[in-house]
Amino acid sequence: MIYPQIDDGDVVISENSAIRNCIGCFGCWIKTPGKCVLKDGYDNMGHIFSQADNVIIISRCCYGGYSPFVKNVLDRSISFLLPFFQTKNNETHHKKRYKNTFKFIVHFYGENITSQETDIAHSLIKANAVNLHANDSKVFFYHSFDEIAKGVQL
Amino acid sequence: MQISIINGSPKLGKSTSDLILEYLTPLISDNNAIEIYNISKTEMNEQRLAYIENSGVIIFAFPLYIDSIPSHLLEFLIQLEKRQFSDKNTMVYCIVNNGFYEGRQNYIAIEQMKIWCASNHLKWGQGVGVGAGEMLPFLKDIPLGHGPNKNLGNALKRLSLNILSAQSGETLFISPNWPRFLWKIESSQFVWYPRAKTNGLKRSRLYDQVNNAVSNK
Repeated sequence: MIYPQIDDGDVVISENSAIRNCIGCFGCWIKTPGKCVLKDGYDNMGHIFSQADNVIIISRCCYGGYSPFVKNVLDRSISFLLPFFQTKNNETHHKKRYKNTFKFIVHFYGENITSQETDIAHSLIKANAVNLHANDSKVFFYHSFDEIAKGVQL
Repeated sequence: MQISIINGSPKLGKSTSDLILEYLTPLISDNNAIEIYNISKTEMNEQRLAYIENSGVIIFAFPLYIDSIPSHLLEFLIQLEKRQFSDKNTMVYCIVNNGFYEGRQNYIAIEQMKIWCASNHLKWGQGVGVGAGEMLPFLKDIPLGHGPNKNLGNALKRLSLNILSAQSGETLFISPNWPRFLWKIESSQFVWYPRAKTNGLKRSRLYDQVNNAVSNK
């Protein structure tokens, strides 16, 4: 059991049903702002993020990044942001749609995660945190999923 | 030389990756047998997968999604790795475009492609990170290598020379030859507001928030 207790306010997103991939239509920005147009049960990610104090991701590490399913969920989450840009640290990023910010924590597991992968995973989580306007970010690595099952750190 | 081009854009219509490949393909056509596969639109059957595996050069063109490789392309890369490449001399190149201004923001996706390349024991060629991808369709009547397309033209020229000679090159990051503040204003004026209007939305609606309570899925 990774989490001994799941509270009422916690939302768990797992691959309980088929997920469609983002089709790059920007419908969540210019057709139904804030909501993905693909109605498959994963269309409200932006709204879920808007209610979160913590976003905790558990994923197999693939080429220094997320697994395809986890990546798909994140790809479908851009409704959390606005299409408009702002400049932070001399880089352009999308503006916030919502006022809230969350802590962004990622747990990667995999038997043979290389040092090159951990380096790029650190960069990825840092970049995600900037783009998602997170107030803090952390990344952890494990040799196996069972190792995570001992209990994740927050 | 046998060349496979993988278009990793998931867009149903014409994408920025399509446009970039339209620019690149004539530069590398030199008696080469080139096949372009859009993995969202083409069924990747055994014959096509075998063509990719037997290519001397594989070029990936795709958009940046959440700072990294889009999920459907990630799945395809894993599928390719499971098949195992027999020719370890295959060169891998990639062009990643993003919606930000700075091409440099593509660096994580390019590094991921390098990791995929190493996992498959293939040879890394070169990566190009292109900024302001959404702007490129507006510049399609401007010749490559000129005006705002100057930096893209120069980068694709350098990439094509490396591809033709099966050489490696340093990663190139480019932004348009156009001021960032103008690009930022124009992205709202020429992209987001007109698209919202097409959908019958006032500008203010683009800021809508979803307010109902969330529930456990």
